[in-house]
Amino acid sequence: MVKIKSKIEEEINAIFSTDRPWVTIVWDDPVNLMDYVTYVFMELFGYSRERATELMMKVHNEGKAVVSEGTREEMEHDVARLHEFGLWATLQRGDQPL
Amino acid sequence: MNQSHGFTRHGEELFVAQFSDSEKEVLINLSQQIIELLAERVDHHDQDPLAAMVGITVHDSPPDDEVLLRLLPNAYADGVDAAEFRRYTESVLRTKKQAHAMSIRTMLMSSEDGSIELNHELANAWLGGLNDIRLALGVRLNVEKNSHEELELLAPDDPMRGVYGVYSWLGWLQGNLLEALMDGIES
Repeated sequence: MVKIKSKIEEEINAIFSTDRPWVTIVWDDPVNLMDYVTYVFMELFGYSRERATELMMKVHNEGKAVVSEGTREEMEHDVARLHEFGLWATLQRGDQPL
Repeated sequence: MNQSHGFTRHGEELFVAQFSDSEKEVLINLSQQIIELLAERVDHHDQDPLAAMVGITVHDSPPDDEVLLRLLPNAYADGVDAAEFRRYTESVLRTKKQAHAMSIRTMLMSSEDGSIELNHELANAWLGGLNDIRLALGVRLNVEKNSHEELELLAPDDPMRGVYGVYSWLGWLQGNLLEALMDGIES
């Protein structure tokens, strides 16, 4: 019972919290070239080559990586741009398990 | 005709390549197919014209076709959120992807000798367009399940061998344009 209650409380808190950060996740894909993924991160997010390469390697090795954080609206914008360039991206609330 | 050597950087912001007639033909055909594939679904004759004007479509379900689903993926794991997002954005995404393919197609069609000059913006459009073609071919080749070693071993008379050849060549071309673009960027 206690567990269920705290779960409900968590959900209610989430509903009323408007500034809860959201995240954009990029998923590994067998077609996209590693250099391409790095380049897209640099172009879309203005990341340094080093930072973009690091994120690309995380996607490659771990199957996914958080590439940006912000409001839901901002993350929807990021996902749309990543889709435009063929990367496999989704967004979700930052406190949810990836 | 000599085979293309790919893209090289000319000066600050120009990327230049020379394509053979057959390479040109392959790229024009594939771009055309992507443009047609991305054309709006025809199942919305009851579409509200005002909604259509601002890019809202009535369909919010993911495409049935595997290739289209890869080109227009879900933005949320949750089905309801994914449908809502798709309703407001899919039409714009289709148009942007078509524009990328269109820039490859029209530039090659208007280049008599197969020479192409891209500025930074056009290079990005080409990268996106080439990538969509590779994603489409990759789905058809089942790159996810088949390793490159397996694909290399396709029989010479297997039509998929030819498709894999084109897929590999596009990967080489894209990699080569990326190399030219990254050449000027400090690490």
